[in-house]
Amino acid sequence: MISSCASKSINLVRGGMRAIATSAVQRSDHLFVHRDTPEDNPNIKFEFTPENKKRVEAIISIYPEGYKRAAMIPLLDLAQRQYGWLPISAMQKVAEILEVSHMRVYEVATFYTMFLRKPTGKYHIQVCTTTPCWLRGSDEIMECCKKTLGVEVGEMTKDGLFTISEVECLGACVNAPMVAINDDYYEDLTAKDMQQILADFKAGKPSPPGPRNGRYASEPAGEPSSLTEEPKGPGFGLQPALA
Amino acid sequence: MFRAPLTKVIQGRFGSPTHGITSKAIRSSAALSQTPAKAPEKIEVFVDDVSVKVLPGTTVLQACAVAGVEIPRFCYHERLSVAGNCRMCLVEVEKSPKPVAACAMPVMKGWRIKTNSEMTRKAREGVMEFLLMNHPLDCPICDQGGECDLQDQAMAFGSDRSRFTDINHTGKRAVEDKNFGPLVKGIMTRCIHCTRCVRFACEVAGVEDLGTTGRGNDMQIGTYVEKLFLSELSGNVIDLCPVGALTSKPYSFVARPWEIRKVSSIDVLDAVGSNIVVSTRTNEVLRIVPRENEDINEEWLADKSRFACDGLKRQRLVAPMVRMPNGELQAVEWEGALISVAKAIKDAKGAVAAIAGQLVDVESLVALKDLLNRNGGETLCTEQNFNVKGSGSDLRSNYVCNTTIADLEQADAVLLIGTNPRYEAPLINTRLRKSYINNEMDIASIGPKIDLSYNHQNLGEDAGLISQVCNGGHPFSKVLENAKKPAIVLGANVLERPDAAGIHTTVASYCKKLNKQGWNAFNVLQNNAGQTGALDVGYQPGTQAALKAQPKVLILLGADGGKVDREKLPKDCYVIYIGHHGDNGASIADAVLPGAAYTEKQAIYVNTEGRAQQTLAAVSPPGMAREDWKILRALSEILGTPLPYDNLDDLRNRIEDIAPHLVRFGKLESSTFGNLTEQLATSKSIENTKIDVKQKKLREYFMTDPISRASPTMARCVREVSGEEAKEESQRQAAC
Amino acid sequence: MAGREAVRKAVQQVRPILSVDREEARKRALNLYKAWYRQIPYIVMDYDIPKSVEECRAKLREEFERHRNVTDVRVVDMLVIKGQMELKETVEIWKQKGHIMRYWKESQDPKPTDFLSKFLQGVN
Repeated sequence: MISSCASKSINLVRGGMRAIATSAVQRSDHLFVHRDTPEDNPNIKFEFTPENKKRVEAIISIYPEGYKRAAMIPLLDLAQRQYGWLPISAMQKVAEILEVSHMRVYEVATFYTMFLRKPTGKYHIQVCTTTPCWLRGSDEIMECCKKTLGVEVGEMTKDGLFTISEVECLGACVNAPMVAINDDYYEDLTAKDMQQILADFKAGKPSPPGPRNGRYASEPAGEPSSLTEEPKGPGFGLQPALA
Repeated sequence: MFRAPLTKVIQGRFGSPTHGITSKAIRSSAALSQTPAKAPEKIEVFVDDVSVKVLPGTTVLQACAVAGVEIPRFCYHERLSVAGNCRMCLVEVEKSPKPVAACAMPVMKGWRIKTNSEMTRKAREGVMEFLLMNHPLDCPICDQGGECDLQDQAMAFGSDRSRFTDINHTGKRAVEDKNFGPLVKGIMTRCIHCTRCVRFACEVAGVEDLGTTGRGNDMQIGTYVEKLFLSELSGNVIDLCPVGALTSKPYSFVARPWEIRKVSSIDVLDAVGSNIVVSTRTNEVLRIVPRENEDINEEWLADKSRFACDGLKRQRLVAPMVRMPNGELQAVEWEGALISVAKAIKDAKGAVAAIAGQLVDVESLVALKDLLNRNGGETLCTEQNFNVKGSGSDLRSNYVCNTTIADLEQADAVLLIGTNPRYEAPLINTRLRKSYINNEMDIASIGPKIDLSYNHQNLGEDAGLISQVCNGGHPFSKVLENAKKPAIVLGANVLERPDAAGIHTTVASYCKKLNKQGWNAFNVLQNNAGQTGALDVGYQPGTQAALKAQPKVLILLGADGGKVDREKLPKDCYVIYIGHHGDNGASIADAVLPGAAYTEKQAIYVNTEGRAQQTLAAVSPPGMAREDWKILRALSEILGTPLPYDNLDDLRNRIEDIAPHLVRFGKLESSTFGNLTEQLATSKSIENTKIDVKQKKLREYFMTDPISRASPTMARCVREVSGEEAKEESQRQAAC
Repeated sequence: MAGREAVRKAVQQVRPILSVDREEARKRALNLYKAWYRQIPYIVMDYDIPKSVEECRAKLREEFERHRNVTDVRVVDMLVIKGQMELKETVEIWKQKGHIMRYWKESQDPKPTDFLSKFLQGVN
């Protein structure tokens, strides 16, 4: 009784102040400090391949003299493409090339989530679980990936081929549900399609990207439901006086 | 409310052009954009309806400071670049739909800034609430408590109640603590991401090890990899940190700010003469923090000066001691000690010499000189040599920084000869670094390859290069001669060489050529706080004179440099040590008279640019120790030749008679007769040997004098820093 | 000038504390002395102090002699009142032994004035 009175009076005191509705704070499962591991430590050498070295020069030459450090993100991306992910020695290499301190590169590499700072499989399966995909059954897709590969989200398969991650919207909602495997989008998926794709990758013959339900791109599935008739010619619908 | 009032930024320099950009191309463009247009017209803005006229480009925050309104802030710091990420300085500007960040927004003509409107107050309250939502409520166990900007501003601008309800019991954001080394304690959960420390490390200290990793809620300040923050200025991030994320490790859980007594004083552990505040409680020095002085240390302080204060409690001489026939030093009463010392001096019949050490104040130097002169002794010298014949230490301009510390910041070409300012005078090095960044200063060094925290050209180690540069035959001579404000800095250690006279004369006469109206290019960078003062009152530099005289009695006034040992003295020489630490000097002495350290006496010190400043007594000397000049005064009375001063005022009057500039505290007396050096010179020859500097690595910086040698904190620094440096070295070798 | 001063002094009326003139004050002082004198044997006995009756009487005399050149009637009265209070406290054994012995204790050591003794004693 008394306690209810008390809570009422508190509400009175608070007046217009709205209590913040708190939900659990979303925190990243990535680590933002470096820990030396057998796979990732500064003693592992990283060197750009000769053809990538040419690319490095080409990238740097884009930027005006004195603004070399602007090439940081392209170079990190190049290193990641070469190595599969971004080990600390690659970051240090980029820092040396750009003549900035190591820390400046770490800052950039940790800021962007698409720089993968831990060992990642050859095929990085990024399952979109944002609302449109989720409504269209991304849970199934995710479940299928986990079951087929036998790993959890964020983990890599033992053979080093696959890593599953859960990502936010990749901008292909019209073809939901979808996954991105490395740079390619696989869209309009069902669990069966997903299994097929994974099996193809495992067999070493990557399946072609794109929608899986027979669509060419993002056109309506089946017949168009509007704008079906011939386009009207000029002057259509104008009042007679103007025609 | 805020510790650093903003008004001083307003005088002249606007903005903080200290972006840590290493590339020269950017530096030039940045410098170009800074060159002010011809007398820009002032624009009028209104702060809370009060009209102020400011230069274009002034930020809202600075305009408010002109009007006398202080805007709360966390990330903004007038000596660092503007970050604009804390949002605490949001203010309402009329006709602007959103509040603007005052620290980053330049004012426009006719703006009406409202610093106390409903919108402003709401914005502050909101920012404060967000900050506090992820800030732990551990003020009772936080070392910053009581001097915390977040605490103060939460009181002043925050809401009076909390809406933070943790219904899911997920807890507040928590961040793993980082190891920043032996001096700085990082409790990163308290961090509010103002990035002041990152900007300081990058812009002022020149050590780009700190940074922000991650983003959003997961952002952290740190070094990413396991690494110490290796800098000789690391302690300053403690002062900069507005919360308790970075606190002092040696001072942790020691005292609260309201319990301590603060005494303004002067630092003596290097020759810069940084202004400090000594915090004491119950006759114990607890910590030392910098005090602002635009001419000397701005608001920074080097680590040794800040953290070596625990050496004041160790290894102290607390009672007079006399060496017994069995060879042991035994503590005796003052009376007995003074009588035996006086007897030895009497017996010597004038064969008395004295050597003054590194940390000696002007008062005791004068008293010692008067005492010896009254007893037939003439040989008084300093421990550090200044091997310049001819005009030698007779001309003041020969041994001081003539350019002055503050003006070195404007130099555009500097040649360092045999000195590592980074460790010999860290705060002068920050000036040079500032000039490097803002003025595109060209800097070159003759001496071993060292890391100065900025790019410089190493001309080589050979001393012959000096004459090459000074003859105009070296490429760098062109740079110096074409510069508007060139400067040459000679290290004090170079002038200890046998050919110092030649080097000195060569450089001095070259500087005569470089000098401009109102600009003196010749600098000697002293590294002992007592040296300039000793030379000012007429001490001979170098111990040779004292050793050559083969005295019967040798008085060591704080001479702990280890340059005198028993072998070089006659067998029956009676050595008297007057000083505060049981170090090299006391170990060879026959009689030890305990003196006072710099925090325990009111004493005059002259810094490397020749500026006299006085320390104030923060605590009393331990045990039976007495102020050094009083020991000499008492001794003189027992010798029957009493000195004519009984108190400090009388002594200061005597000093004023000798050298009036020494009692004009804080003023800089410019040196004259600098032009005579060349005419009085005896030799110009330079030997072609290598020039060396003593402190090359950070680990060599921490222990250079009796106080820092006695300090446990400094010992820890040496241990951890050598470990880290060895690690880095091995990594570098592995990478090669 | 001096004459006017004298007149002013003579005319000046001060309120007496107890005694109206010097004679009365003297009597009061003598009475106090006698009272103390008579109580001393009992004090010595009660407090068991390591002093003889003679020594105590000598001290009593000394304490009175200390104020012998006091001429102001009001000051004399005040001292007598204080002496009576002391006496009462002593006789009623409101004091302790140490309080009595304090009469024989020298007051503070004289402070050094010359530089050397100041130096040796460590006072500024």
